[in-house]
Amino acid sequence: MLRPVAYITAPWPTQEEVEKLYPISKVRKRALQALVDEFKAKLSNREEAPVTSIEPEKRRKRASAA
Amino acid sequence: MPPLPDPKGVFLNVPYDEEFSSLYVAYIVGLCQLGLVPHLASEITGGDRRLDRIFQLIQSCRYSIHDLSRVELNVAPSATPRFNMPLELGMTITWQILNPDQHTWFVWESEPYRLQRSASDLNGTDPCIHDGTVDGVLRELRSAFHRDKMPSVPQMLTVYGLVNSALSSIFVANGTRNHYDRSVFKELCRLSLSLTTHFFPPA
Repeated sequence: MLRPVAYITAPWPTQEEVEKLYPISKVRKRALQALVDEFKAKLSNREEAPVTSIEPEKRRKRASAA
Repeated sequence: MPPLPDPKGVFLNVPYDEEFSSLYVAYIVGLCQLGLVPHLASEITGGDRRLDRIFQLIQSCRYSIHDLSRVELNVAPSATPRFNMPLELGMTITWQILNPDQHTWFVWESEPYRLQRSASDLNGTDPCIHDGTVDGVLRELRSAFHRDKMPSVPQMLTVYGLVNSALSSIFVANGTRNHYDRSVFKELCRLSLSLTTHFFPPA
């Protein structure tokens, strides 16, 4: 059996390309940007979460080792 | 000769039905997360013959995905088989045979070995099996398309969840509940591509 695999070397799409490929009205652009900002904030919080949950564990281990 | 295809362009040949919509959104999110640019026949406007425009769109894309997972009869009276997807796959295969360096096509299915019965002429071609799930679509996209700094499936799933949560507001703004509507498609792509840069900020 044969299944193709594509190795993508093309650069990531730029904002200019996105504007050209998927044009939308200014109003919708603003609305989507608000969603993107909200989602990015959510993603940032999500990424920080494991760090804060690991820290108490580390502290506990250090304390028990001492 | 047509111009060279967009090296990031992926023509999505999928069924346009409600039951498939979550997988359709997964395709859009997954492709964008891999830095690719999805295209859909519903983007096509204008008065030319639809088939000619679809062929132009296939030619303009370096890759195409042909999802044959819903080959059964549709439920609307009078039940008819879905011929559009195999038809567009046939056009794509011809184009690729004539221009092997300009196009690569992938066949997708939800069930292993079914393709051998539904389109036995494709025997020897190994389809991507997505199991009819969002996770499966994202997993198989990562397996079919390789690039540096690929997001993990959980990262892609997170973005999928966010994009999916925006659907109702996108529907309201565009006055439709059709996932495959041109305006909805454009907004889903823009949103998915904007969230890509979160993981991989441009240099």
